[in-house]
Amino acid sequence: MKEFKPLPDQPAPNDVVGPIHWIKENLFSSPLNTLATLLILAFLGTVIPPLLDWLIFSANWTGTNQSACTNEGACWVFVIAWSKQFFYGSYPAEELWRINACLIALVAIIIASYRLHKDLRNKVAIPLFLLLPFISILILDGSWIGLEYVSTDYWGGFSLNVLLAAASIIVAFPLSFLWALGRRSDMPFIKSVSIILIEFFRGVPVLALFFMGSVMLPLFFPEGTNVDKLLRVWIVLTLFMSGYMAEVFRGGFQAVPNGQYEAADSLGLGFWQKTLLIILPQVIKISMPNILATFVMLFKNTTFLLIIGIFEMLSTTQTALTNSNWLGGHSTEGYLFVAIVFWICCFSMSLISSSIERKLDTSHKN
Amino acid sequence: MSDQPQVKSSPSFFNNPRNRSIIYQALLLIGLTYFFYSIVSNTLANLEARGIQSGYDFLFTTAGFDILMSLVPYDATHTYGKTFIVGLLNTILVSTIGIILSTMVGFIMGVAHFSHNLLIRKLAVSYVETFRNIPLLLQIFFWYFAVLAALPSARQSLSLGEAVFLNVRGLYIPGLNAESGAGLVYAAFAIAIISIFLLRRWAKKRQDETGQQFPVFSTSIAIFIGLPLIALFVAGIPFTWDFPVLKGFNFRGGITIIPELMALALALTVYTGAFIAEAVRAGVQAVPHGQTEAARSIGLKESKIMKLIIVPQAMRVIVPLLNSEYQSLVKNSTLATAIGYPDLFTVFVGTTLNQTGQAIEIVFMTMAVYFVINMSISFVMNRFNASVSLAER
Repeated sequence: MKEFKPLPDQPAPNDVVGPIHWIKENLFSSPLNTLATLLILAFLGTVIPPLLDWLIFSANWTGTNQSACTNEGACWVFVIAWSKQFFYGSYPAEELWRINACLIALVAIIIASYRLHKDLRNKVAIPLFLLLPFISILILDGSWIGLEYVSTDYWGGFSLNVLLAAASIIVAFPLSFLWALGRRSDMPFIKSVSIILIEFFRGVPVLALFFMGSVMLPLFFPEGTNVDKLLRVWIVLTLFMSGYMAEVFRGGFQAVPNGQYEAADSLGLGFWQKTLLIILPQVIKISMPNILATFVMLFKNTTFLLIIGIFEMLSTTQTALTNSNWLGGHSTEGYLFVAIVFWICCFSMSLISSSIERKLDTSHKN
Repeated sequence: MSDQPQVKSSPSFFNNPRNRSIIYQALLLIGLTYFFYSIVSNTLANLEARGIQSGYDFLFTTAGFDILMSLVPYDATHTYGKTFIVGLLNTILVSTIGIILSTMVGFIMGVAHFSHNLLIRKLAVSYVETFRNIPLLLQIFFWYFAVLAALPSARQSLSLGEAVFLNVRGLYIPGLNAESGAGLVYAAFAIAIISIFLLRRWAKKRQDETGQQFPVFSTSIAIFIGLPLIALFVAGIPFTWDFPVLKGFNFRGGITIIPELMALALALTVYTGAFIAEAVRAGVQAVPHGQTEAARSIGLKESKIMKLIIVPQAMRVIVPLLNSEYQSLVKNSTLATAIGYPDLFTVFVGTTLNQTGQAIEIVFMTMAVYFVINMSISFVMNRFNASVSLAER
């Protein structure tokens, strides 16, 4: 009897696998596609080389003032010369360690909340988080803890954008959670107050809120009370953020299965035990992508502070652009730099958000 | 027998949920009352100290300042009330332009995400990821100070066939002057729209009853173009072109679109378009692939699958997202104040408030306007949403 010998495997034909097929499938699958590909390639071919040349190859990189910008390309000297202002505003040079300390503390607490053991995390990281804005104010202001006093007029730059956004979301967390609870409550008065608060802060343009903060808030306090401009902005940003986050939390509450509430009830847990130990952890987990998206929006909106005269990063850039030593039309370089800084921050946050989303998504989609 | 612990039949006073809820709400009410009482009394005291008369009388006093651009006749002799109207119309104008253009950009870019062509897909993704993650104010500044300010002067305008001119002072396009008889054309438009609406209802009813289809779309287009065209010739073309002409240092005639409006509309379009593209992508992706396969297996054509199966289901996800994007576009249009486009915020909260000091009235009116605009958007979109949403059993 002849032994059965299977033929050796044939390689797949070239028109269904391999790079040639891939190119054909993705770029030249039909006459129309071929046309589109060629048009886009031609467009990129005419745009990218001069752009790269302007950005990098014939750009000016070294020097300290405008006269160093002799080449055709971008004048990055402008950005380099002003970089300290862009990041720290006009905070005194010898006190910059205070800003750095606050930023490092922020990063350290974020890392700690990832790394710490879960028992410690709740007891250490959360209180530290909630205290951070106040500690930062003590450090940056300095007058209460024996450091040199720095008026908020000198706070500014990108560090102000970061710290304000962080301080606002931290305070907005408990506040918005309360509002969301209020909106779900059975008590009619508490429910309607919560709805009015949430819809007010979501429905009004944030710029109008800032104007309210700067024009109307002084009228609300007794005569002679002087509330710091930055403090008013912080209050406004916090309330604005709370309105949006409350809605995010509401979505999270709705996504927690009813069985969880019933199970907690049947264990005999009280309302706060049930809410804080059973429901809240699940709500935060479910809403994390949306919280991050809201935070990105808040972070981008901190640039609006320019309009009410606070020296955040974009505002500092505008000042630099109108400086008499740099009147040479560096606006493209300046805006591009600010855009890149913001883009990196926002894009990395949206990457984190979508990775969390993917981790949470256990459905079977195709 | 008496070893059994006594179980009270009712909980203690404070553990009764009813009593608790009354106490909590009473506390909140007391707190809020105190809060508002102190605010109102402080405000009244402050207003008196500053010598500001509260009330809306200021709306009828002469404004005395000019506004860069106005859709209705306005000059410095008009009242503050008129500045409110001018600002409001400018806000509505830029919001409408922004909503229409960003919807177009968003849908094109959102659909491009599903293109068979790799380069188109990558372009769509990079568009979304670039413009979504850069602050809007920065984009407005970029268009206004870096792009539009770099355009040539009036003498060296970029031109398109001697009719459209673009220079550092703005975009000049030909206008249409209506003459007597134009009313007939407008009436024809109105009749066309009404008859299309009736035709659609009739066609749907006929299809429901008999199963016969009627080419509604092509007929509608024929009516929409044909009827006004006939009216146009019947009335003897009652329109004349008004071309912009260079006179001295600037253009005269035609319609001028100021650079502030261009920059703001461009930035709002590009920024919101990125978010709408993302909404469209999410909507199409939310339709399970099985739907397409099922449609193919019952023998529908590819074009019918898109129109009858995918789009109606995707719209359920897209419409609520569009609603919030439109609302945030309107709210973001307040950034006009950063480049001086005379919208409601710039004119009313900016100049008028500065001149009159009527902070409370003005901020209240402005907020009310944005509330009303957003409520109307929400109302229209919710009606639209009801028509596309799933009929629950």
